Amino acid sequence: MIVSKSDLNKFFENLMNDFDIFIPYETEFDKDNLSYRKFSGDANFVISKYRTVDPIKTLFYLPSEMVVPPSAKEKKRIIVGVKNCDLLALEVLDAALLEDNFVEPNYKIWRENTYIISADCTDTLPTCHCVLLDNNPYPTKKSDGKNMFDLNINPVDDKFVITVGTPKGEKLLELMKKCCTISKATSADREKIEAQHAEIRKKLADINSDFSPDRKYNVISESYDETTWKELSTECVECGGCTNICPTCYCIILNDESEKDCFRKIRTWDSCQLSGYARVAGGASPRAKLWERFRNRYQCKFVIMKENFSKLGCTGCGRCISTCPAGIDLREVIQSLQEV
Amino acid sequence: MANPYEVLKADVLDVITESPTIKTFRIKPEKQFEFETGQFVELTVPGIGEAPFTPSSSHYEKEEMDITIMKVGFVTEAVHRVKRGDVLGIRGPYGKGYPLDKFKGKDILILGGGVGLAPLRCLLLTLIHDIDDYKSITVCFGARSPEDMIYKDQFDDWRKYDKIHLLRSVDKIPEGQHWNEKVGVVTVLMDDIKIDTKDAVAVVCGPPIMMKFGTFALVDKGFKDENIYLSMEKKMYCGFGQCRHCVMGKYYACKDGPVFSYDMIKNEEKIWE
Repeated sequence: MIVSKSDLNKFFENLMNDFDIFIPYETEFDKDNLSYRKFSGDANFVISKYRTVDPIKTLFYLPSEMVVPPSAKEKKRIIVGVKNCDLLALEVLDAALLEDNFVEPNYKIWRENTYIISADCTDTLPTCHCVLLDNNPYPTKKSDGKNMFDLNINPVDDKFVITVGTPKGEKLLELMKKCCTISKATSADREKIEAQHAEIRKKLADINSDFSPDRKYNVISESYDETTWKELSTECVECGGCTNICPTCYCIILNDESEKDCFRKIRTWDSCQLSGYARVAGGASPRAKLWERFRNRYQCKFVIMKENFSKLGCTGCGRCISTCPAGIDLREVIQSLQEV
Repeated sequence: MANPYEVLKADVLDVITESPTIKTFRIKPEKQFEFETGQFVELTVPGIGEAPFTPSSSHYEKEEMDITIMKVGFVTEAVHRVKRGDVLGIRGPYGKGYPLDKFKGKDILILGGGVGLAPLRCLLLTLIHDIDDYKSITVCFGARSPEDMIYKDQFDDWRKYDKIHLLRSVDKIPEGQHWNEKVGVVTVLMDDIKIDTKDAVAVVCGPPIMMKFGTFALVDKGFKDENIYLSMEKKMYCGFGQCRHCVMGKYYACKDGPVFSYDMIKNEEKIWE
């Protein structure tokens, strides 16, 4: 199915009173950077291109939110232009936060009330490296039907090809049909999409040609070698930026703002890179040294999350690389570990 | 589904000073609070924060609960200022406790040091409740000095049971304090145990260094790795495996523990720190 860009804009305008709609826009300070903003009629949004600066978790697992009592709002939301690296991250967050025994109250509310319209990448950032993780820069429909996108839209020329991912997506499509002209995609459109996919994959492969996609992650566990990790972490300034910007990091601390027996608890993102993170009262810490904390992030993403959720904690979005003030490149770290 | 962070109000009924740094708080949660021995709770000091503790009263007591706390950090210093009549918050219980089914009919050794006696008192009182189910209970408790030994007034009660064999040691006897039992780190008591260790179970709780050498001593004595149970102290924040602070390799101390058998975790990194 196909919808024109102007019709899509009309669709958002029609829904903006009933839904909070978030769409990527160029940021004020850097046109190359995209960031989610609430739609209020501004048609200069950028649906495709590449990932936003802000990871998807900022909309589902807020940097700081009250959990006692839960503060998430039940207003319906639509998040548009989510890229595959963030959809994959949502799978990790779902596994961690909607677990059988314990369900994170706010995350559940945000998740249940949100529709996701994903989009294919049509361009890359220098840090994008999903292909090194066997991921694609666009979502593909799953055989078990458990798609992370409700609708996916794929730009072809000045229109969008729509793919329905879930029953929630069907509902959105019904709403879209009320105000937009929906036509059928032709075989020429499908061919164009395939060509676009091949082109973007090629571009990603070129950007990452210095790095081998054949990565062995067991070396992270096995190399409990102080010298290697000390060397790799020399430049780290322990800002915690890599973990805050990572779409799958969900570590938090709980702060108490209770007054007498009126209990209030606020959870705020935390970072395993900070020295107080694992320290217990009395001063003992399993990761007292910087290199141990630095290694922990790699251990967590590539070994522990894989063991816990059968999914890697890295989706190849490259945000940790873009954000690191010391210029540490996760790809280089993994690569040099292969060579130890 | 219920909010896993939900906090219950708990009235402080009594505060008992156990040692210069340790107090026991008797609290009454606003509704019945069930837990299994070895599980932990998160105790809130309103406006200050919360920290994980294992109750020290029997799990058969469901209306009131004792929690023994050492003054060692930010939250526990605030807890120590709490008085009878004040209000605390409690949530939980979390984690897996001691697998009592596997203790039935066996000789049990309880090895504890310092404030590590707190969860072990919970276990001991629970075992005493069903004492006919167990073959024998050997209790080895250590403290730095006589005045650091907690639950002083309760040992005579426990000694009344034929099945309970109680041994205590202190690291040293400072001037002015009196002690007529063993002197030395708690593992010195292991020379005096009289059970067949091959089929016995052991439970260890105490400061990290004591847990480490205590466990090694038990292995030396012939206890099997799978029969040694450790109560691990890590930074348990949320209590259910979401905040990740207490991760020990692939395990979470809060969710998969805090009680682990030694064979389960001996190959994980840095378990003693």
